[in-house]
Amino acid sequence: MFDILKKTLKTGSQTTKYPQIPDIAPAGFRGKPELLSDKCTYCGKCVAVCPPGVIWLTEEKGEKILTLSYCGCIFCGRCEEVCEGAIKLTGEYELASKMKEDLLTSIRRKT
Amino acid sequence: MNREFTEALKNEFGTNILDAVTSRNETYLTVKKEANVKICDHIYHHLDIPLISIFATDERKKDGCFKVHYVFSIGKGDAFVIIKINIDGKSPRYNSITHKIAAANWYEREIQDMFGLLPVGHPDPRRLVHFEDWPDGVYPLRKDFDIKTKPPRVEGEYVYRRVEGEGVYEIPVGPVHAGVIEPGHFRFSVAGEPIINLEIRHFYTHKGVEKLFENISLDKAVFLAERISGDNSAAHAVAFCQAVERIAGIDIPARAKYIRVVLLELERVYNHLGDIAGIATDVAFAMGAAHANRLKEEILQLNEKVTGSRMLRGMNAIGGVRRDIGDKKDEILLKLSEIQHDFRELIEYLMAIPSLVDRIETTGRIYNDTAKGLHVVGPAARASGIDRDMRRDHAYAAYPEFNFKVPVQKAGDVNARTLVRADEVCESIGLIEQALWSLPDGDIKINIGEIPDGYALGYTEAPRGETLYWVMIENNRIVRCKVRDPSFCNWLAIEYAVLDNIVPDFPIVNKSLSLSYSGNDM
Repeated sequence: MFDILKKTLKTGSQTTKYPQIPDIAPAGFRGKPELLSDKCTYCGKCVAVCPPGVIWLTEEKGEKILTLSYCGCIFCGRCEEVCEGAIKLTGEYELASKMKEDLLTSIRRKT
Repeated sequence: MNREFTEALKNEFGTNILDAVTSRNETYLTVKKEANVKICDHIYHHLDIPLISIFATDERKKDGCFKVHYVFSIGKGDAFVIIKINIDGKSPRYNSITHKIAAANWYEREIQDMFGLLPVGHPDPRRLVHFEDWPDGVYPLRKDFDIKTKPPRVEGEYVYRRVEGEGVYEIPVGPVHAGVIEPGHFRFSVAGEPIINLEIRHFYTHKGVEKLFENISLDKAVFLAERISGDNSAAHAVAFCQAVERIAGIDIPARAKYIRVVLLELERVYNHLGDIAGIATDVAFAMGAAHANRLKEEILQLNEKVTGSRMLRGMNAIGGVRRDIGDKKDEILLKLSEIQHDFRELIEYLMAIPSLVDRIETTGRIYNDTAKGLHVVGPAARASGIDRDMRRDHAYAAYPEFNFKVPVQKAGDVNARTLVRADEVCESIGLIEQALWSLPDGDIKINIGEIPDGYALGYTEAPRGETLYWVMIENNRIVRCKVRDPSFCNWLAIEYAVLDNIVPDFPIVNKSLSLSYSGNDM
């Protein structure tokens, strides 16, 4: 009994203050991928390597559109690996949403 | 080892053995279809070699035959013997070996459901993977079954074993559980509190993973393997990669092998800590659970810092690893030494509490002969006196270079399983330290282009036990990927472990076996 009390006192409180105080992901964390429109060449390499197939390249009204869904993303970073700087995995992880549409991101360019 | 073994079998069975091919530590013996029972029986009972998997392939395009493979593992001498029979596609039946080797039970039923090969003489030929609403004659792993097929639902019935008598009650539990766990059905027959029979029914979450493997490219397949059993990600990914690397005939850089050991052992540590926390929860010892969970969380956060993923995902690739961890060496070593000290203290407290020990001693006992007969694997086997560990018996990655003990207990109860895990945590930390202290310089990955046609086994000792992949590649595509998760071997053991135990102890028995639904049911 005394041992348990000692262990409890020694351990102290371990609870963090999140979400009042933001919990920053460590460097190298594979979180939300971001698309950078100024660097993208719309080559489609990321589309080909994405294991769950959640990146699409489409054309609409003379525009090339690259869309990524965070819905099925497994954060493997294969897209970032094959891309020349237009996709970056960030430290952001608070992705929960009530609407599937909120989990889509896209960039576009006139052809 | 393999040559002597093949010669001995040839002397014993003469013309029944049609062909022998050896590559690496795997020997494939094609035998006459009618001789499968006596040859397997001889290897299993006479030579005392465990049967670790049975799987089928559909090679009708090549020679009009299905093949069934029986995989035996010779621990002393690091060899695998695979007995192969050809089954004519026009008459898809073969003799069941289950009446001789109990461990074959589920495999033969699985093959029956997925390939439509009938094991003649199987003592329990009910469906295993398919439900009664799945139509007859539709076999998903046959090559002529298209992955997009949506078969119609039909009427059907599943018959459970019934235990009858005065005062015998049935308690059906699941597949819908109160809480967020995976689905499984447990049918208890009880007389008062003691359980006199348990029948489990699973496979409610069949995802068609093995079919999916045949329809994706190799680099994507690694990520699929990683997701078969969520908390055994690294073990599955490494087993898959090793199978492909063996087919390609490449030796990955030493640094990658060492990093793989670190990842696999980090995985073991957090799993075992979680299991110990679960056992403490189930005996209502909140303080122990809180501390064990806290330590598990510390490892998960360490994983995140080192690999970018709490569950160690995205680290493995065919040819090595994707990220170097050399710069995190000191951080890992420091954290682990703190955790080891903390954990040892915690286990000493836990094991000194009579009310806890009283709940776990003699509870959920799996006797050695039961464990052996069902081919129980991992910590559950080692707690029942089976001294098997893939890391030592079929050493892979950098394990041959390190010193570690394989803890074995004899009692086979929840207590023994807890102690095995506690000792394994300390051994794992020792392994990580050895790997990091002597981390060799060099590349972490080599590029492999085209992979030649071929097939090979890949295996790891996951936290739950031996994980086995058999991969066959043709034209750079997977034509068959058989995954054998440790839980596929261990689930049936729970039917024996609970006998003569009381219903309130079921959660502890279940937790101590740490069974995966997802890994079992692909």
